[in-house]
Amino acid sequence: MTNTENEPVKIEGVYKKFGSVVALHGLSLTIRRGEIFGVLGPNGAGKSTLIRSIVGLIKPDQGRVVVLGEAMPNKPILSRLGYMTQASALYDDLTVRQNVAFFAGLMGCKDDAKIQAALDLVELAHRADSPIRTLSGGMRQRVSLASVMAHQPEIILLDEPTVGVDPQLRAQFWAHFRRLTEQGITIIVSSHVMDEAERCDRLGFIRGGQLLAEGSADALRQQAGKSNLEDAFLWFAQQKGAVQ
Amino acid sequence: MNLSRIIILARRVAQQLVADKRTLALIIVVPVILLTVAGVLIRVEPSGLTIAVVNQDEGLTVGSQSVNLGDRLTENLQNFDIFQTKLMDADDAKQKIEDGELDAVITLPPDFSAQAAQSRQLNLNVQFEGSNPTVAERLRNAFERVGDQALAGLATLQTGTDSGGGNSSTAAIETNLQATYLNGGPEFDTLDYTASALIGVFVFLFVFILTSISFLRERLAGTLERLQATPIQPLEIIIGYMLGFLIFGLLQGVITLLYTVFVLNIHYHGNLLNVFVIESLLVVVSVNLGIFLSTFARNEFQVLQFIPLVVVTQVFLGGVLWPIEEMPGWLQPIAYMMPLTHANTALRAIMMTGESLGGVWVQIAALVAIGAAVIGLSARTAGRVRM
Repeated sequence: MTNTENEPVKIEGVYKKFGSVVALHGLSLTIRRGEIFGVLGPNGAGKSTLIRSIVGLIKPDQGRVVVLGEAMPNKPILSRLGYMTQASALYDDLTVRQNVAFFAGLMGCKDDAKIQAALDLVELAHRADSPIRTLSGGMRQRVSLASVMAHQPEIILLDEPTVGVDPQLRAQFWAHFRRLTEQGITIIVSSHVMDEAERCDRLGFIRGGQLLAEGSADALRQQAGKSNLEDAFLWFAQQKGAVQ
Repeated sequence: MNLSRIIILARRVAQQLVADKRTLALIIVVPVILLTVAGVLIRVEPSGLTIAVVNQDEGLTVGSQSVNLGDRLTENLQNFDIFQTKLMDADDAKQKIEDGELDAVITLPPDFSAQAAQSRQLNLNVQFEGSNPTVAERLRNAFERVGDQALAGLATLQTGTDSGGGNSSTAAIETNLQATYLNGGPEFDTLDYTASALIGVFVFLFVFILTSISFLRERLAGTLERLQATPIQPLEIIIGYMLGFLIFGLLQGVITLLYTVFVLNIHYHGNLLNVFVIESLLVVVSVNLGIFLSTFARNEFQVLQFIPLVVVTQVFLGGVLWPIEEMPGWLQPIAYMMPLTHANTALRAIMMTGESLGGVWVQIAALVAIGAAVIGLSARTAGRVRM
């Protein structure tokens, strides 16, 4: 019996192959409500595939992904999710507000106050009527974040959200993520930057489409007997390699 | 199906177009420029052309009156200032047309008048120099007009016959030689025929280009992936696109129509609503073809290659420039598979002869069928983020 209340995302033995490349190799993972879960691994490890299968953009060849009690892909459940893609996917000709209102609208949120709140949160209210093409890369990332949050989703998935974002903004992002979890929102974030991992409640080390280990940063370091996460990751990778 | 999401998507498509002022301007300006150029080229009077008339007509004597149609026609031709008319004998004319000094020779045989009176029509025996087909085409048009004028002058030709009474000369019977046109008439020219079809071509072209490129961008920019992570269904995306572009397609339709009717002075007998119905169907086909074909392109350059394939082929085969009936038999079925063929036929019927929608139901049915087929294709591909 799945406890959907406290385990909003359950990944059960998911296997996915693209042509001859195995992207996910029987991966299982359970995400708890209100936590920031970090999916960590090198490029090509299967992080994006994992996130995309949670959103239902990818249908697993084997296994299943259960989100809020529903097997994915499931269109109606998507309005309770927020998915921020790797590159800021926005409409260049439209203004900041038009972009945020568009995506929120598709999620069923037409409340101008909520859209304004999202703009305030990413500190872009003063640029609300500027076209996206006039914004810097960091600003675009903030618009992108506002556009996945305005409809107040229960789960937010962020695929490398802080790539190309300056340290100050990155700190703001994380402070904001933390505030969201206090409201019971679950955040799944992928990254290949180890120092970001420190900010997550729990981590999943991923390589070759497999889960190497999961747990808090401290627990993983302890288990590996290493002083930093990068060494810990390599240690787990070696262990896995030795087993195979 | 969720109407609210469809409207949100349609509004976004419209917002993007409104934000892109330059594209919006081009949608209106480009058809106006092209229609003007077409108008000038099609209506230009030929100049520097020389024709010869070999008049051997012996005329016709009826009762006390003698009539010579050959002389009258020659006179009419000489009054025409779009070409120079020379009178000469058959040998001379043969020599000069071979030397390239003449563009055409009209030979009026000895029994020209007699034949015309009997068959009640003018048979013009014209030999074109013919190395330049456009010259021959222009002359042919001019001769038709001259022929009409000559016929008009001859409408009250008196071919008095003996009525059997005593005073034969006063009892005259009128013989009317009439040229009749099923549709149009001498006052309709090629521009009327071409412009009505071009209005459909422009809507199709513009919607196709904009849809294929915007949809490709959705894919490249990752916004399509974002869309797929929302509850919107592929069919809702497609309908949203259709609605969004419909507004601008019809706006362009109105402006090009007003321009051709009031500035280029084409003959217009149609009902605007009927024109809109045909144009809306064209927009539906065009949007879906654009979405479908954009799937096969990885960048803007590749999408642009589809324009000649999809649009120019249809301009060639769709009866815009050449009538489909004159195409080789194996080509005609292909022509009838093209949406523009049916749209052109319908638009011409509506605009030139004021046909009702019921009168073009065959074309409407064909467009609906083609539309349903391409919606099926685009609905399958709109959901794909990557090829």
